Amino acid sequence: MAIDTVPPLIAAQLNYLVSHCPFSVKVEQMWSGCKNPSLLDRFTLVIPYCLDYIKWDVVYNAMYPLAAPDIIFGPEDENFQPFCGGTDKSSKNSLTEWNSKDPARLLSLIIELRDAYMLYQRRRIGEVDDERLKFEISTMPSREGIEMYLSSGTEKPEEVKFAVPLLDMDLNKLVAGSTWRHPQKICLQVIFPVGKKYSTAPAPRLKLISSAELKALFSIEDFRLPPWLDGMCTAEYLPALEEMLESQIKEAVSSIETRRKFIMALTPHFGRPIETDPVFCRRATFLASSGVFTFLVHFSFSLQFPKQQPTIVLQSSQHFNPHNAPVKSPNLAEYPWSPRWELLEMAERIFDFMAEECLNFKKYCNQMNQQ
Amino acid sequence: MDDFPIDKIQISGATLASLLHRSSAAAGDIHGYLFGHATISTPNPLSDHPTTTTTASLLIASITSFLSLPSHLPLPPPPPATDSTALLGWFSARRKTPLRPSLKDSTTTVSLSSSPSLAFIPQNSTLSLPPSLFLLITTPFPDQTIHTHEYKAFQYKGNAFEPKSLSIVNLGPSFRSQYDSFSPNVQFPMMDCELRGSNAMVEDENGENRADKKRQLKDQKQLDACAEGFELGRLSKLMASEAAYTGELEDLYDKMLAKIDGLSRLVEQTNAKVMEQENHNMRLRYRVAGLE
Repeated sequence: MAIDTVPPLIAAQLNYLVSHCPFSVKVEQMWSGCKNPSLLDRFTLVIPYCLDYIKWDVVYNAMYPLAAPDIIFGPEDENFQPFCGGTDKSSKNSLTEWNSKDPARLLSLIIELRDAYMLYQRRRIGEVDDERLKFEISTMPSREGIEMYLSSGTEKPEEVKFAVPLLDMDLNKLVAGSTWRHPQKICLQVIFPVGKKYSTAPAPRLKLISSAELKALFSIEDFRLPPWLDGMCTAEYLPALEEMLESQIKEAVSSIETRRKFIMALTPHFGRPIETDPVFCRRATFLASSGVFTFLVHFSFSLQFPKQQPTIVLQSSQHFNPHNAPVKSPNLAEYPWSPRWELLEMAERIFDFMAEECLNFKKYCNQMNQQ
Repeated sequence: MDDFPIDKIQISGATLASLLHRSSAAAGDIHGYLFGHATISTPNPLSDHPTTTTTASLLIASITSFLSLPSHLPLPPPPPATDSTALLGWFSARRKTPLRPSLKDSTTTVSLSSSPSLAFIPQNSTLSLPPSLFLLITTPFPDQTIHTHEYKAFQYKGNAFEPKSLSIVNLGPSFRSQYDSFSPNVQFPMMDCELRGSNAMVEDENGENRADKKRQLKDQKQLDACAEGFELGRLSKLMASEAAYTGELEDLYDKMLAKIDGLSRLVEQTNAKVMEQENHNMRLRYRVAGLE
């Protein structure tokens, strides 16, 4: 038997969970709870919730892999007791009639528990004695998927965190040919301090958060949030924000097309690119030569293209540094450029600049080799 | 009814030790019932101070025995409470897990403590108490040589687990006052036997019916089998002369030694058989789990 194996029945459920889950679940660590320490049957799942993570321990039994697993929730959620008090109607859940042969069972259990956790947090926040929060919850638009979380530490002041998904559109479909596996989302995080009088309540802390892969299309850091006026509530704040965001996203999507056209404008001069990023058009590499000196030209485009000119790096295919890596030029960002030029003119000017710059680069390469 | 707080949970050192041993010897995780009794005691503060008017009575639960089975099997329907032992709650022992009630722990505890048929009445009181005790046993994450177990007791009260301290009662000077709490309470069946042999006047008492006599005879036979030739008549010889005494005693000891020897051999053989069976079960389990 191999060292550290996960019993197949358990492995099937876990693999199915990780590959089919609508949100990205990670396994943090695995360990064994039986006498044979090489059989791994316990693991910690890291589950995204309310723009943060919750960690649940899943306890299987390697000796009896046919039995249903048990879940231990986080230390701050001791009062979260799902599946309790079910009389007859609600007593049916993912754990009743457990079928170890069905690999989708763990997934449905985790999804069911996460939904129950969402209701649990909502109930806790409903019990908080704070006028503004009560108002927020009652006016919060009935949009899908608002997650909330009451954090109550002993050293920290109590806070309620809302994660409001923005833009009711499928971002994955906006970009043709995107390879995103998980649905891309932009959320507004709103954090209210608890226990303040309504009149003196400070503005909540606001932050936009997007899924990590979205950064290739749109940078959330460059977005300026509209100001939160005194006495405002989230329901008032959202429409303006969404409008701004939507127009900027549309701009970002159309700028992909601009970049694609620019790369195409470069081809008459440099030849067909040997490598490009076909989805977001953020990078392109061409093979160029000057006499017998052959080199690669790497273009990388910022999201602000064409306001910001592309960064160019030259890489020799004939010169190598002492570590046997090809010699590269520093980033070239100082060259004639105007965003008002036509794309064809931009490409032409870059080609002219490159015709001179490659001589400098050749000199630089020769110097490097002599050292 | 279910909101009556338990002030103190007691367990004898031997019971806890056997519980811990059972959980560490088991192949997987185990769970089971905790039995014992609860009493209401009114502490009498031996104080001369006139202002101390503590009349608050304490509810003390004492765990005296348990029943365990592997966790993958459901708990059997609990046995009906008797006068001396009641179902106090249950325990769950799982290796290398955090010392917090899990999903299953909470559902089981809730269903136990909310079923009115399981409620029992503590001694010298009128209130009715549900089996709301929960004892959690785990082992620490990195394997350690000295610190091998962790446990925590809870009472499920008001929809939440309330941690309770578990006081271990060991034999010793402080045990004396609690002798009653841990005295054995299993009743042996009464064996109605007479001192036959020593008295030849075991004549018939005609009033007795035949069935009664038959049972008596059977009991006597069983008792004689256990005595193995050292029935009362022979023992009484020990009281006779000194020479007879030594001889008889040696004979007695020889027989005892032979018996112990035979027993230990029997234990050895059965252990080997159990081991073989367990290994066989393990192989079958591996096959079911697809590990072969």
